[in-house]
Amino acid sequence: MRIRGTAAAILLAPVMVVMVVLYVIPLGVYFINSFHRFLDGRILPAWTLQTYVDYFSDSFNYKVMGTSLRLSLLVTILALVIGYPLAYALHTRVRSAVAKGLLALLLFSPLLVSVVVRTYGWLILLAGTGLVNTLLRRFGLIDQPISLLFNMTGVVISLTHILLPFAIFPMYSVMSRVDVSLKEAARDLGAGWWDTFTHVTLPLTMPGIVAGALICFTLALSAFVTPRLLGGGRVQVMPLMVYNNTVDINWPTGAVSGLVLLLMSIAAVWTLNSLLRRLPSV
Amino acid sequence: MSTLVAEQELRAEAQEGRGQAARDALLRTALGLGTGYVLLPLVIVIIYSFSSVSYGVFPPPALSTRWYGHLLEQAPFRAAFGRSLTIGLAATGAALVLGLLGALALVRARFRGKEMLRGFLLSPIVMPKIVLGVGWFIFFARLGMQGGVVPITLAHIIVVLPFIINILAANLVGLDPSLEEAAQDLGASTPTVLWRIVLPQIRSGLIISALLAFVVSFDQVESSIFLTRGENNTLPIEMFLYMEKWQDPTIAALSTVLIVFAAAMVGVAVLFSRGTDLRRILPR
Repeated sequence: MRIRGTAAAILLAPVMVVMVVLYVIPLGVYFINSFHRFLDGRILPAWTLQTYVDYFSDSFNYKVMGTSLRLSLLVTILALVIGYPLAYALHTRVRSAVAKGLLALLLFSPLLVSVVVRTYGWLILLAGTGLVNTLLRRFGLIDQPISLLFNMTGVVISLTHILLPFAIFPMYSVMSRVDVSLKEAARDLGAGWWDTFTHVTLPLTMPGIVAGALICFTLALSAFVTPRLLGGGRVQVMPLMVYNNTVDINWPTGAVSGLVLLLMSIAAVWTLNSLLRRLPSV
Repeated sequence: MSTLVAEQELRAEAQEGRGQAARDALLRTALGLGTGYVLLPLVIVIIYSFSSVSYGVFPPPALSTRWYGHLLEQAPFRAAFGRSLTIGLAATGAALVLGLLGALALVRARFRGKEMLRGFLLSPIVMPKIVLGVGWFIFFARLGMQGGVVPITLAHIIVVLPFIINILAANLVGLDPSLEEAAQDLGASTPTVLWRIVLPQIRSGLIISALLAFVVSFDQVESSIFLTRGENNTLPIEMFLYMEKWQDPTIAALSTVLIVFAAAMVGVAVLFSRGTDLRRILPR
C-alpha cells in the first residue's frame, strides 16, 4: 500500500496523542516534582534544586546505587554464564526441529507466568526447610540450614532464574545465524575444539552475548517484586527507594531517585549498544 | 614409516571422537539440567499447592486439596482476577488498533525522523516500570481520576504498545506491497485493502502480539500498584500484597491455576501461529 504524507499523519495521530498524553506528560509531571522540595511532611511548590543537593550529599543514596549496580552486574553475568551453554546445546545438540521448538518453548514458558508466582516458587525452594536446604543437608554438604532468603543471595538466585530466558534467546538467535562453515574450516585447518570455540564461535556469537547482557542488565536494574519479596528489607535497590519515597509522599526525592535510575538504565543501554555496533554484524 | 603416521592419525581421530562424545553428553546433560532448573520453581509451586500443612517444608508431610478450598473462599482473588482479565483485554484491544495503524505508517510511509519516532514509540520497554507507575499515580491524581479500572487500563496501553508495534512492524515488513497495489488499482479503498488484504496476511502476528500484550498486562505490579489504591487490586498486586503478609499455600493453589491458564494460552499460540512469530516475541 502506498502511504503518503497526510495518510501517514492520520495513521500516526491516534498513537501519538495517546503517547503524549499518557506517557510524555505523566513522566514530565513526575520529574517536575524533582524541582520541588519535601519538608515537614508536605511538598513545597517552590522551584529549587535543593532536593538534588540533598540527594547527592547523602552517602546512603550512593550505597543504594552501588547495591543496584552490584545486583544487576552479578545477575547479568550469572544469566549469561548459565545461558550460553544452554543456548549452545540447544542449537548444536538437538537435531529434530520439533524437539528444538519444544525445548525452546519450555525454556521460555516461565515468562508467561507472573513474576510474583516465580518469586513465590523461589520463596518455597530457598526456605530453611525447603528443597534446596533439604538436599544440601541430605548430601552432607551442610549441618545447619543456610539462610538463602531475605538477603542478597536469595535475590540473586531467583532474579538470575527470572532473567535467564532473556539471556538465552538473543544468544540462541545469533548462534542460529552464524556461518557453520567457518567453524568447519577452523577444524579442517587443525584447530582443536577449544581453539575453535575461543577463536571462532565465541567472537562470532558476541553480538548475542551483548544483546542478552543489555536486556538482563536493564531488567535487573529496574526489578522490584523480587528484591521486595525476597530481600527482606536488606536488599535496598533503586526501585524500592522510589517506591518507599512515593509511599512516604516524598515525591521530590522519589523523582530524583527515579531520574537517577532512568539515567543508569540509559547509560547501560548506550554503553552496550555502542559495543554492539563495534562488533562485526552477523 | 608411513604406516606409523597413519596409525598416529587414526589414534588422534579416535581420541577426537571420544572427546566429541564426551562433549555431546556434557552439553545434552546441561540442557536437561538447565530446562529442569528453569521449570523447577513452577513445578515446586504445583507440588506445594497440594501440601497438607501451611508452612514451607519439602517434601510436604501429606497431600491435600484444602488450599484450593481456601482459595475459593477468597473473594478478593476472584474479583482481582476478573479485574485483571478486563484490564488485559481492554488494554490489548486498544493497543492493537493504535499499534497496527502506527506500524503501518512506520513500515509503509517514508518521512524524515522515522527512526527517531520508532525509538520513541518503543521506548516504554526500557523505562523502569516503577518510574512509570509513580508518574501515572501523580498524573491521574492531578486529574482526579483515582480508583476504578480505567486509569490502570490506560496505563497498560502504554506498557503493551511497544511490544505490539515491534511484532506488527516486523510482520508488515515481510509483506509483498504489490498485492495491495493490485487491489488499489482495481479500485479497492484503503480500509478495504487493510481489512481484506493486509490483516489476513498478518493474522499470526496479530494473535501472537495480542497474547504477549495480554500476558504483559496481566503481570504488571509496580507500574500499577499506586493506581489500585487498595480496593481495586489487580491479581498480581493482590497476590503481591497477600505474600507480604502471609505465605501459606493458598498462593500456591492460585499460582497453579495461573500456570494452567498460561499453558492453555501457549496451546492457543502454538495452534494458531507459525514458528517465526513465536520467535519474534523475544526482544532483540
